[in-house]
Amino acid sequence: MDKKELIKLINENLAEEFEVDIETITPEAHLMETLDLDSLDLVDMVVLIEQNFHFTPKATDFREIATFQDFYEFIESKMNGRQ
Amino acid sequence: MTKYALVTGGSRGIGRAICIRLASMGYSVLINYNNSLREAEQTLDAVRNAGADGELIRFDVADREQVEAALNQWATNHPDHYIEVLINNAGIRKDNLMLWMEPHEWDSVINVGLNGFYNITHLLVKNMLVKRFGRIVNIVSLSGIKGMPGQTNYSASKAGVIAGTKALAQEVAKKGVTVNAVAPGFIKSDMTHDLDESELKKMIPCGRFGTPEEVASLVGFLVSNEAAYITGEVISINGGIYT
Repeated sequence: MDKKELIKLINENLAEEFEVDIETITPEAHLMETLDLDSLDLVDMVVLIEQNFHFTPKATDFREIATFQDFYEFIESKMNGRQ
Repeated sequence: MTKYALVTGGSRGIGRAICIRLASMGYSVLINYNNSLREAEQTLDAVRNAGADGELIRFDVADREQVEAALNQWATNHPDHYIEVLINNAGIRKDNLMLWMEPHEWDSVINVGLNGFYNITHLLVKNMLVKRFGRIVNIVSLSGIKGMPGQTNYSASKAGVIAGTKALAQEVAKKGVTVNAVAPGFIKSDMTHDLDESELKKMIPCGRFGTPEEVASLVGFLVSNEAAYITGEVISINGGIYT
């Protein structure tokens, strides 16, 4: 999967899980605000990542993530690290 | 004759306000602390300003040996007195979602909150029974009543103390010892300084956080002779948050 496909997959998953218009998801947009997530919703985020990307993020990982771009890079780095 | 009260976690916040309140009621206050010596000394100054005496007593409530050593030493030094009021106030928070909660986050919160209640209470309750007067007030939390997400450890620890309060109250009621729990909601203190008051107060009918002094006032009443017929109760002080 190339980077473009990965981003598309991430956006589709996030839009479906958190019921937002996929058009609102842009690399510069703020992840938590755009998806209207609070700390409890991170449970759903962990399940989404576990099911689709097959790793378990830690609580501390989310402190580093502000924008969707940060999130894409985080997922990509974890997936690359596994290959 | 001097009357003694022990407040665990008495160096700061709600514990400090309770120490000052008990001092104003004439108690000589044993101010327990673990790490916060400087703050404990400030509490002692405030206790003396309130017109009573006090002393610092250092132990980690989670460490059974430390607790026994400190309280046995105190008893040896005060052969003619006993601690007639015990406020189990020490507590810590290590919030995390269950799926990320580390064993040490679970264990430490349970060890301080729930095991600490046992470690101290079982040592002091005998003299209260023998002397036919005692007051035990456990500071619990809204979390222990309704459960708060992100606080399964803290909620479980406080719920455990609530059940212990009700059970112990029935064991000791005939001997003039009352056991009650006070369940604060959001109170301005070091424990809540990381919380967003402007956001959270929207869910509090009173529209503000409470103060440590308001909690201490309730504790003072439960300790008083007027409250002799109240035991085994959990009294919420949370600005109207329905539980």
